[in-house]
Amino acid sequence: MIREEKIQIPFVYAAGQAGSRFLVALRDDGRIMGSACAACGHVSVPTRSFCPACSESDLSDVELAGEGNLVSWTEIPGRGVFALINLDGADGALLHRLIDSPDKLAVGQRVRAQFAETRKAHISDLAGFVVTGAGP
Amino acid sequence: MTQRPVFIAGCGQVGPVAEDPRSIVEMVLEAVEGALEDVGITHQDIDAIVTASVDILDGLTASNIAVTEVVGAVMKPEARIAADGMAAAIHGACQIWSGAYDTVLIVAHAKPSMAPYQDLMQWAMDPIYLQPLGVDFLTCAGLQAQALAAGDAGAEQRWAELASARRAGTPAAISADEILASPIVASPLRAEMCAPMEDGASAIVLSAVLGKHDGRPQVTGVGHDLAPHDLGDREPGIWRGLERACNRAYSVAGIDNPASAFDLAEPSCLFPHEEELFVAAAGIGNATVVSPGGGLFVGHTPVVAGLSRLAASASAMRQDAGCRRALAHGAWGPAGQGQAVMILEAGAP
Repeated sequence: MIREEKIQIPFVYAAGQAGSRFLVALRDDGRIMGSACAACGHVSVPTRSFCPACSESDLSDVELAGEGNLVSWTEIPGRGVFALINLDGADGALLHRLIDSPDKLAVGQRVRAQFAETRKAHISDLAGFVVTGAGP
Repeated sequence: MTQRPVFIAGCGQVGPVAEDPRSIVEMVLEAVEGALEDVGITHQDIDAIVTASVDILDGLTASNIAVTEVVGAVMKPEARIAADGMAAAIHGACQIWSGAYDTVLIVAHAKPSMAPYQDLMQWAMDPIYLQPLGVDFLTCAGLQAQALAAGDAGAEQRWAELASARRAGTPAAISADEILASPIVASPLRAEMCAPMEDGASAIVLSAVLGKHDGRPQVTGVGHDLAPHDLGDREPGIWRGLERACNRAYSVAGIDNPASAFDLAEPSCLFPHEEELFVAAAGIGNATVVSPGGGLFVGHTPVVAGLSRLAASASAMRQDAGCRRALAHGAWGPAGQGQAVMILEAGAP
């Protein structure tokens, strides 16, 4: 015998102070903010309260370009294309979505951020990225 | 090694099977009884227990509470690891090496048939930046595979052949052409490249005092490492965490050249590209036999996988006197965020 259940519990997740600065900048200004580490120089995105490369917490906010290079991608049927984007000026990559789905994608292709028309301080305020060029 | 010995004294395994009709407790009961019987002991001979489980898979908070009695943990020390069972085995081995206990029972269980796995794994992702986008473990696997396939025109064919080779001679046998004809699930990964998700449980008795006279394999090195959660904070085409875990284990075991050190490797790889990541990170050579029984490609139970690989390694060493040293591996989290390895060396013939 089995008992069927559907777990539905409301939750409220805090983005934190650093995360809130990232989300507010997306919403209010259509800007992508990252964090530069004073200790090791690593520039991470989104904004952080500590450096993912060295764990130090002496960070300053930096505005990143809305453009970058495609690092990797995966298309999941019915769910769209997910991508790792190395934004100009950042180390590492931002995991987000490609809005369009070109037949041919390649590492290093140039992509540009597109922002949602209606924004609510949510990661989806960044609607995704579009491919703009062939890259290096 | 100067530490007291830790023997893989006994093993018990349930599954993997697509859908076990029993309760989790009943599955764990069979695995634990099998492990105790393999050593010829009872619960009274167990000093402490380490369990591995993940709440969201069991639909319970503190899912170890549900198995307290069946693992014999009432009025005994129990620790619980919310990760792969290999991490629980390392925890138990360290308890023995510390001198705290002589004999520790390690148990891992999961029954993913209880709920849609994709939905569950979305809940395992960061709730601010990744979960709302629909990122799950499969997404991360696809991104990691594509990072490897880009610029490697032969990757998909090679992966299909590898997945086919692992299933050869098993009821799940399938040709490389059939794998390449199966639907894309997360490009470039295809459905038949993926290890099938199934229910299972595993139990292992680790002991400093039991197993020596039966020639049971001995644990001579362990290593454990976590990479950043977000794939954007990692090098997507390398398992750096596994490199670090292996280097720790090799240092403990006194292994200078892993390329010629192992007769057997039992990795926890869910996709063929992960096996290539494993081989590169572990530094094993062509003489090492990898997953002779098919590994996880013939059936994979999350949480249990690493402990099942440890049991498979120990079993191979007990049956084949020529198998003198093995590398068993567990991994968990998105795209192998967590990594753990154990080195086994054969007991006295």
